[in-house]
Amino acid sequence: MHQEISAAKRTGDTPPAIRPGEGAPFRDYALGAPYDEMFDESGGVRAPYRELYTRLIALPLEELYRRQMACEQSFLHQGITFTVYGDDRATERIIPTDLLPRIITAKEWAHIERGLKQRILALNLFLKDIYHDALIIRDGVVPRDLVYGAPNFRREMRGVSVPRDAYVSVCGSDIIRREDGAFVVLEDNLRVPSGVSYMLANREVVRRAFPSMFQATHVRPIEQYPQELLATLRALAPPHRENPRIVLLTPGSFNSAYYEHTFLARAMGIELVEGRDLLVHDNFVYMRTTSGLSRVDVIYRRIDDDFIDPLIFRSDSILGVPGVFNVYRAGNVVIANALGNGVADDKAVYAYVPRIIKYYLDEDAILPNVETFLCREPRMLSHVIGNLDTLVVKAVGESGGYGMLVGPHATQKERVAFRDRVLAKPKNYIAQPTISLSTAPCFVGTGVEARHVDLRPFILHATETRLVPGALTRVALRRGSLVVNSSQGGGSKDTWVQVI
Amino acid sequence: MYYAIRHLTRFRYPEPIRESLMELFMQPRSEGGQRLNAFAVSTQPRAQLFTYEDHLGNTVHHFNVLKDHAELQIEMHASVEMAEIATLPEALSSDAWDLLRPEMLNAEEYDMLHTQGLAVPCEGISAFLSEHAITRDSDPLTTLRALAWAVHDGFAYDTDATDVDTPLEEVLKIKRGVCQDFSHVMIAGARALGIPARYVSGYLYHRNEIDDRPAPDATHSWVEAFMPGLGWIGIDPTNKTLAGHRHIRVGVGRDYADVPPTRGTFKGRHYSELAYAVSVQPAEAPIRPAAMLKVARKMDHAPVSADERGEAFYQQQQQQQQ
Repeated sequence: MHQEISAAKRTGDTPPAIRPGEGAPFRDYALGAPYDEMFDESGGVRAPYRELYTRLIALPLEELYRRQMACEQSFLHQGITFTVYGDDRATERIIPTDLLPRIITAKEWAHIERGLKQRILALNLFLKDIYHDALIIRDGVVPRDLVYGAPNFRREMRGVSVPRDAYVSVCGSDIIRREDGAFVVLEDNLRVPSGVSYMLANREVVRRAFPSMFQATHVRPIEQYPQELLATLRALAPPHRENPRIVLLTPGSFNSAYYEHTFLARAMGIELVEGRDLLVHDNFVYMRTTSGLSRVDVIYRRIDDDFIDPLIFRSDSILGVPGVFNVYRAGNVVIANALGNGVADDKAVYAYVPRIIKYYLDEDAILPNVETFLCREPRMLSHVIGNLDTLVVKAVGESGGYGMLVGPHATQKERVAFRDRVLAKPKNYIAQPTISLSTAPCFVGTGVEARHVDLRPFILHATETRLVPGALTRVALRRGSLVVNSSQGGGSKDTWVQVI
Repeated sequence: MYYAIRHLTRFRYPEPIRESLMELFMQPRSEGGQRLNAFAVSTQPRAQLFTYEDHLGNTVHHFNVLKDHAELQIEMHASVEMAEIATLPEALSSDAWDLLRPEMLNAEEYDMLHTQGLAVPCEGISAFLSEHAITRDSDPLTTLRALAWAVHDGFAYDTDATDVDTPLEEVLKIKRGVCQDFSHVMIAGARALGIPARYVSGYLYHRNEIDDRPAPDATHSWVEAFMPGLGWIGIDPTNKTLAGHRHIRVGVGRDYADVPPTRGTFKGRHYSELAYAVSVQPAEAPIRPAAMLKVARKMDHAPVSADERGEAFYQQQQQQQQ
């Protein structure tokens, strides 16, 4: 759950140009430059949101408040939490969920779906290529040093065959909506994407909060996600194993997404294991059970490459399974996602994704990228250095929003310090213009206000590519904030994809 | 030349350990002027051995032992045929540097210019190069030789000064170390100059009249650098010599960590005693299985008797540890 964005124009700073509608809950709803999901530029309610709007102006605030509380209570009771690192007060917090659904039309969804399928197809081909013949490097489309210099390029994967060439079998891409209403991809998460359990949990509580509106909106179902994930993992299993054993490998209960690991394992009816529950013997992986060792065929891992096998990767890892990589190399166990995917969601490689799509598929990217400046290129570097006050500069190969500068929000001193870091190692940085996330209505206690949101759909890929028609809409809960990371105070919303 | 190599490794633990798992980078490579004619490895306790070829072409063996054991022994035998290495020219043309530009290199060569790992150019390396006036002013081969000889002359061979994870900066400060440190310094220096360089682990056959380092019967390491028109050439900075038919190559990697003779994990108290013995003996005939059928009756040149190995085993426990 890693993304952070900034905007040149902060909605909260500008006085509302338009006061949408007449309804009391929308009294403080600010419309600024960014695209608003609910209201058009003139303050009119967009068609998909009319039902929601009608209900909201009819409901007393106290009733909205009561329903919001019911949602939060439900989260708390289910133990839906997210661990925040570096927070002494409480390791586990509930992820604040917002009462009001975000609505995606059938047409919008069809476009997103086509775009993401294309992207995952191309990125899978890219991963296979760079770990085998590297034709894309030979043909000069992607610079070699970018790939070889990427911290997550795993030389150990060169020449290793991956079942069905499915490197990325579970993906969560971060999409944002530009001012012109177009959806663009901000980041591909091809390693261990998280958040799908919140998508499912949000649906549960919001459907209960607005049962009749849910009916009236014709929302496509998403509850089948765990079964589709299981089918994907099953499709990757060695073909001769009739009843493959699939496990979910978690780093453990101190991981930020541990709730999700337990949830998914339970929903799929598979074992949730830690590294110490597995062992390697004679080139197979086994699970320790009360009745002895039981062979494991597929590992859905939620643990980083670095930690998965202390024999091959970080030798100080106590979370991994010693020797598992050699079993994987021999084709005796499947690990999903594959190892080494991080090179394809590297922030610098990201800039090349449209060219990667063109190279392998001979198609233009259906979903464009956010404009990205590679500090490795001298011309772009000088542009970045000259515009640090408007750009977001990110360290390449790190996630979680720590090694970054949000130009417009930074002090002069911070900008100078960051400039020196960029100039010392330009290859380590990329920059993007401050993009404005779209806003969507959120219940804030005293009424309904606009808050910035992004969109994370989840893509599954084995023999075919599938999307559950839904997504996690992440919300920057503070007014004007563009930080949607759950690790940094972001919340989420239920996302309704309409049937028609 | 034919060599018979034996390499015995023993791990001992203060109390029984379990679930040990190990990878071995021990199989001599079979390419160029070096041919592997026979190879066998066995373990005590017994284990099934598996093998794969890694992305650098090294043949890796691996195995595991589940049940409790307080001692683990690995015994390797190999028979290798070595050709004389062709002599090198005195120098290359000074514009050969042009052929070392990254875009002129293939992926394998390019990756050995790398800036990750144990042999990374650093401040100490820059200081070392300028102290010895090693620059790109001469041709690449002359520069490479100057670098190797500077490493040889500038560092003392000392088996007590460093261990396997002593950082390069530290080695450069104390100017002492073993072959592994010499190799890392030279690799980092070559890379800083823009010459692709890689780490080679292997065995060195010691002739009696030569005072080689390390002392006989130990594993050894040296460096290979990529030279335009010549390909990968081996240089041994520890012994101030080009790698020749006495240098038996086993593993190539970016640094030591890519090709340690053994690496493993186990469950139990985390310390152990490592002892090993290596013998490299000349053999006058190949020990290919087919050839052995013919020479079996006149086995005058049996490599080493079991007793000798046993004695050597104890004598050699104090050798450099890797």
